[in-house]
Amino acid sequence: MHIFLLKLFTPFFSLLFQEPAQGRMALVWERAQHPDLSKFLIIGALLFIIGVAGVLTRRNIIVIFMSIELILNAANLNFLAMSRYLQETGSVNAVAGQIFAVFVIVVAAAEAAIGLGIVIALYRNKETIWVDEIDILKW
Amino acid sequence: MILSGWEAVFFWVFSIAAIFAALLTVMARNTIHSALFLISSLVSVAALFIILQAEFLAGVQILVYVGGVMVLFLFVIMLVNVGEEERGQEEIFNRSRQVTTSVIFCGLLVAGLIYALNVGYDGLQKRDAATIAKTSADRQTADQNLNASATGASKITKGTEWVGNGLYRFGSLPFEVASVLLLVAIIGSVMLARTLKQEAAVDDVAPDVLEKQAIDDPELLEMKATE
Repeated sequence: MHIFLLKLFTPFFSLLFQEPAQGRMALVWERAQHPDLSKFLIIGALLFIIGVAGVLTRRNIIVIFMSIELILNAANLNFLAMSRYLQETGSVNAVAGQIFAVFVIVVAAAEAAIGLGIVIALYRNKETIWVDEIDILKW
Repeated sequence: MILSGWEAVFFWVFSIAAIFAALLTVMARNTIHSALFLISSLVSVAALFIILQAEFLAGVQILVYVGGVMVLFLFVIMLVNVGEEERGQEEIFNRSRQVTTSVIFCGLLVAGLIYALNVGYDGLQKRDAATIAKTSADRQTADQNLNASATGASKITKGTEWVGNGLYRFGSLPFEVASVLLLVAIIGSVMLARTLKQEAAVDDVAPDVLEKQAIDDPELLEMKATE
């Protein structure tokens, strides 16, 4: 079992500690001074996961909507980071990511308007904003 | 794309601010606090957009999200009553088993994503290193030739021009579809948020439903009689 776990996590360790011990912190510091595309993608992934966790754990339907906004925003960050990277490689489709991000923002605005309309209608009928109490579609 | 100097400093400041504000959005007890933390997260991400040289999108993010969507959120929060939540009488998270499961799942997803991103980015870098080195010289000369701004302190980038060009050249059909979507959203939210009284005023509700509701609200029947 231990051997298996060791094998499973070897890639993580090797990523973190590629250099011998004395150069470890220096390498991390050197990489942190020059953030690249992967750092932006990691920030996007973290924001996305925080949004997913919010959707899965909160009971307040308005906070769930806010978490969905976080998820869409993380997707936008990824689009723009990749767009910048493609600009550096001289790709012809370099601004496609920015154009797509405009549409993501449009969809987010429409989704927020409709969702909050539903929240108001629900609150008027059920007097609650807790998602576990809104079960009128259950058979 | 490798940032250095002040760009790197601002990258770390704004990304850490964005992540902490996002965490507090999810964890705040008061919904108003959640909304305000979400606003600061969105502003930090807009700053990241500027670091990514997407100035137009940064402006749109602040105008649409912070100026429009978040104000809508704040209005709705103030319309619905969340007094119990603020006083700490209601549990804000789901049952603990659900929370544990989802947090474990999210942790695994984070670990997997970071690992995959690191490995994938190394491969991408190896593939594109030659192209980036070749185009970076061209980009530097192109940046030198940009027009100076009115004060002369900075240069006017072409980013917004590219986005506009691309939007109307390659994205004109989605653009029109998006405008129809917004129209549908406006009409839909107006329809959803109407009260029964407003529905009765335009004679849009079945008579028996109206009579049933009139037990609580006699005004509804009067409204019917006057019509």
